[in-house]
Amino acid sequence: MNLFRFKSIQLNIAAAFAVLILLTAVFMGVISYQLSAVAVRDTAKDFTGEIVKQVNANIQSYVTNMENISLLVLNHRPVREYLSGDAGDGGSISEFFRTIMISRKDIASIGAFSYEGERFASDRRDARLNPYVKVADQTWFKEAKAAGGRTVVSAPHVQPVFDDEYRWVVSLSREIRSADNTRGLGVLLVDLNFSVINDIVSKIDLGKRGYVFIVNDEGNIVYHPQQQLIYSSLKTEAIDKVLSVGSGTFMTSEAGQRKMYTVQDSEYGWKIVGVSYADELIGNRRQMKLSFVALGVFSLIAAILISVLLSRNLSKPIQQLHEHMKEVEKGNFNIQVPVDRTKEIGRLARTFNLMVFQIRELMGQVVKEQEFKRKSELNALQAQINPHFLYNTLDSIIWMAEEKKSEEVVLMTSSLARLFRASLSKGKELVPIRTEIEHIKNYLTIQQMRYRDKLDFQVEVDPAILSCMTLKVTLQPLVENAIYHGIKNKYGTGTIRITGERHGDRILLRVADNGVGMDAATRERLLAPDSGGEYREGKGVGMTNVHERIRLYFGHEYGLTVESEPDAGTTVTVAIPVVLPEEAARKEAAER
Amino acid sequence: MTGRGMTIKWLFLLGAAALLAALIYNLADALRGGPAERPHVIVMVKSTATGMEFWGVLKDGVLEAAKEFDVEVEIVGPERETDVDQQIGLVEKALADKPDAIVLAATDFNRLAPYADRIKEAGIPLITVDSAVNSTAPRSYIATDNVEAGSKVGRKLAELSGGGRSKIAIISYVRDTASQIEREQGVRAVLKADERFEILDTYYSGGDETKAYEITKSLIQQHPDLTGIVGLNEPSTVGAGRAIRDLEAVGRVTLVGFDSSVDEVRLLEEGVMKATVVQRPFNMGYLAVKTAVEVLRGEKVPARVDTGSVVVTKDNIYEEEHQKLLFPFIGMNGD
Repeated sequence: MNLFRFKSIQLNIAAAFAVLILLTAVFMGVISYQLSAVAVRDTAKDFTGEIVKQVNANIQSYVTNMENISLLVLNHRPVREYLSGDAGDGGSISEFFRTIMISRKDIASIGAFSYEGERFASDRRDARLNPYVKVADQTWFKEAKAAGGRTVVSAPHVQPVFDDEYRWVVSLSREIRSADNTRGLGVLLVDLNFSVINDIVSKIDLGKRGYVFIVNDEGNIVYHPQQQLIYSSLKTEAIDKVLSVGSGTFMTSEAGQRKMYTVQDSEYGWKIVGVSYADELIGNRRQMKLSFVALGVFSLIAAILISVLLSRNLSKPIQQLHEHMKEVEKGNFNIQVPVDRTKEIGRLARTFNLMVFQIRELMGQVVKEQEFKRKSELNALQAQINPHFLYNTLDSIIWMAEEKKSEEVVLMTSSLARLFRASLSKGKELVPIRTEIEHIKNYLTIQQMRYRDKLDFQVEVDPAILSCMTLKVTLQPLVENAIYHGIKNKYGTGTIRITGERHGDRILLRVADNGVGMDAATRERLLAPDSGGEYREGKGVGMTNVHERIRLYFGHEYGLTVESEPDAGTTVTVAIPVVLPEEAARKEAAER
Repeated sequence: MTGRGMTIKWLFLLGAAALLAALIYNLADALRGGPAERPHVIVMVKSTATGMEFWGVLKDGVLEAAKEFDVEVEIVGPERETDVDQQIGLVEKALADKPDAIVLAATDFNRLAPYADRIKEAGIPLITVDSAVNSTAPRSYIATDNVEAGSKVGRKLAELSGGGRSKIAIISYVRDTASQIEREQGVRAVLKADERFEILDTYYSGGDETKAYEITKSLIQQHPDLTGIVGLNEPSTVGAGRAIRDLEAVGRVTLVGFDSSVDEVRLLEEGVMKATVVQRPFNMGYLAVKTAVEVLRGEKVPARVDTGSVVVTKDNIYEEEHQKLLFPFIGMNGD
């Protein structure tokens, strides 16, 4: 997958984790929000249903009340008698109505109106009818007449029949029939104060903005808090749906407002409708949303933190490994990566450590081998006798033999033989200083015989150091150098002085000549490594090689130092450690 | 990396960014607005006297809208319509309160004008209701089209008048009130076009029923040929009606009026008054607050909203719709 191809593992892991956790949080948040919203809505729905049912029950109780009153009146014979014009007087019936109305504040009025003879009785004392209004024209009157004895409940209206009264009432009307039930005598009116119903309905709280309205079976609005707006068509209600639904709940949506209608049918022909706003149903929607969003933000932060920590934990050992590798790159093999607890990275670190260890071992071996090789090379070089020297010496011997100088021939030949033997030295690298001095004396003897009065030499070595060991053929190249570069070019006799002494824990062997000497630049070049190992005509085995051999064998603190002054001579000092023969034997054994 | 992988990666990042944006939007939405941010609207009526049904119903409309649109309304106003100074004082106080919007029913067309300008300068949206001010400051004017209402009265009078010449008097209320000016304009426009009519002066009752009664009485007595009276508001109409009843001039003088009250209903039923033009104060109050809310939401609102008027005669008093207008059930909200 290429989804997370960032440059670093850490970023990769961090991004992957952050996205994963965020997605999970959002997913969970949305689902739980939806679930809670549904739960809250259901609760609100039940709650609204209960409220609307309660409103219905309250209104029902008032209607029942009115019906009971109507029954009471219908069963009161004097009323019938009075309406039919047979007997009785309005006064006693009015008294009877007033008795019914005692402690009945909800009832506005009770009245009985005859079909004929314009007789009427009401609870009012000295009641007068509104002279400008005909009772027979009133809706409640006409409907009761048509209903033939059944009760009729009107919509709220202004009752104008009583003089100087315009009260908002709900009228229950019913035909009063003759005792034999053959004909109607008149209409009974029971008016309920509309304020009673208004109080019930207007005090209902369906959220901040919800409300209750009432429609009758024909779909006419009986009560609505914004009835005037409906008359002016500024507001509409889903009346058709309300009528078709019977009792139940449905949702509507207009102008982005979702509303829930809870309809409750009633026995008296009205439908009580509770309207609540969907966004209010989930009243604490905002808080819910806020808490879910807060959860989301929290999990995002957690995701980032966790992923950063995790990825750092993962990538830290890799980083460490990388740092160590860099060290190795620089050439430092003396390192050890701490082994991580994680299986994979730990294995990697262990393998790396093993590898570095092996490289170190190999490197050591290579260095050793190289040193050994070099040493052997130098030794081999050292062991060689300069062929020119040999040729010259043999030439001198022939020349002396021709002159019959047999004594000198013997001396030179024996010196040459000893020189050879000394340089063989049974293949050992270390020889006692005594042997080395012996060797140089033989060499100098031969040279002196060749150069006669041109060369003189002195050897003054502390006898205490004679048994100490030195590398073989150390002095010969120095002496050769002193002869060829110091003395040969000098006018007159040159003297080579070889001294040896112990100086603390070192032995200093010096080869001093009083030859032409050299300037500082030449002296500097003398021990420079680039001249090392080269054999040049007339130069003998380079002093450099001696210097290097000593340093290789004894360490860098030892070696040659050159002091020289032009026309005054040169002194080369060989510094070696004090090595006793038994130590030397041990060392030689170890080297094998 | 392949080109396809690249695309997927970018799509993925885009998706993540969208998700984050949605989260932030929701957070902002959740944090924004709370119960504390209900807009505060001051509604300045002309009269707070309990007997004034018109203003009572208007207040009902205001409260109903306040409930529906979740607005905190404060209804203030002078005791009496004629107390312009008191209303000016209340406007100044309202300015100091710095509400989110002001709904004003001006008691005086000209004197309230500078205060309307000051409300606008204070950055408070102003909605006028029922009576306008002589200023361009209001964002919307919600009222009965009084010119149209006046014409309705004129037309009704013309319809009721016989073929002969008619002498008409207009009894108005407070001079320089916008509604008064417009109604008179409407009445006069119709009657002037009809050559049967001769219009006497306009008389001012000051919104006082007794004064209207006195004016009418003297008019009837001084002008035996007076055939019609137009009452431009409730007290003026009722006062005129009483005078006609008392002088037993019912058959002679045709009264057409404005507004409604139990007294007017009575006059209608008795036949003293032939018709009345009724406004819709509930709708005015409701629409004024609704419009204020729309202005606060930054919506475009019409400069003029006509709430309409209805001609009620004796025959249609008890029609369902007219009952509500003529016999307002004040305090529907139980407040």
